[in-house]
Amino acid sequence: MRHKLLPLSETMHYILLALREPHHGYAAMQKIEEISKGTVILAAGTLYGAIENLNKHGWIESVGNSGRRKIYKITTDGEAVLKMEQERLLHIISLYEGSE
Amino acid sequence: MKKVKVFFNIEKEEKWLNEQLQKGYRCTNISSLGVYTFEKTDKKYVLRLDFQDNLPKNKLEEYKAMYEDFGWTYLKGSGLNGIRYWQKEDNEQNEIFSDRQSKGNYYRRLMAYSFMLGALCLAYSFMLYSDSSLYHEGLWSMDGSLFWKAFIFETPFVLLKLLPAFMAVLFASSYYKAHQKYSMLKEQ
Repeated sequence: MRHKLLPLSETMHYILLALREPHHGYAAMQKIEEISKGTVILAAGTLYGAIENLNKHGWIESVGNSGRRKIYKITTDGEAVLKMEQERLLHIISLYEGSE
Repeated sequence: MKKVKVFFNIEKEEKWLNEQLQKGYRCTNISSLGVYTFEKTDKKYVLRLDFQDNLPKNKLEEYKAMYEDFGWTYLKGSGLNGIRYWQKEDNEQNEIFSDRQSKGNYYRRLMAYSFMLGALCLAYSFMLYSDSSLYHEGLWSMDGSLFWKAFIFETPFVLLKLLPAFMAVLFASSYYKAHQKYSMLKEQ
């Protein structure tokens, strides 16, 4: 069976994309607001839970601290997940284009 | 201003607290005994109740730092009943959950907690009530005023003995309510 976090939710997807560079939680939220053109604005509890979850599955890891905050970055497992999702989405997009 | 109130439902408590804030108050203290302290303010505030019963010290620090970055102030929280009180000034970002999955996980945490405590109370009730009857055996053979005096004397103790059973019912109902909300989220 497929991993329980797959296909990635919009929240998880954006967090993994944002954490290709190391960020602490709030900075990741700001980055996501920017790269989603203001369409995805994560709330504190949602971000906390998602980071917990991604960390538990080994898709992101803590790489340091900034005061009380933890800084996270994507792992190689996480990058593999993004690669899989990219292929899945590219295939779906190719279906859109074929029908035009 | 102080108000005393007891809640058995986290969502009712959140609703009541926000009704007080809308009258131009902000909450400054919440005591474990159900005393809520408010203070008049010109600004508008909102309060949100999160549920996290299992946060070791280092996790709690990270959890608090995250919410505080978003502008929330930690009013009170305990691992014992799991409720975390967050307050902040009213603006366009007033929620602590921004997607369905995380709101669903919140109800799942509530369900797991109610289920565990409910089961514990139920097990304790069975142990308590199978060992002895509620009233003293000899009570039923007494007559007249003696019976009533003994009956009235014993009743408070009987009610105390019934407490775990009442608690089991309470937790069962909070499990049911969280489950309802959770299924509603999944179906929509």
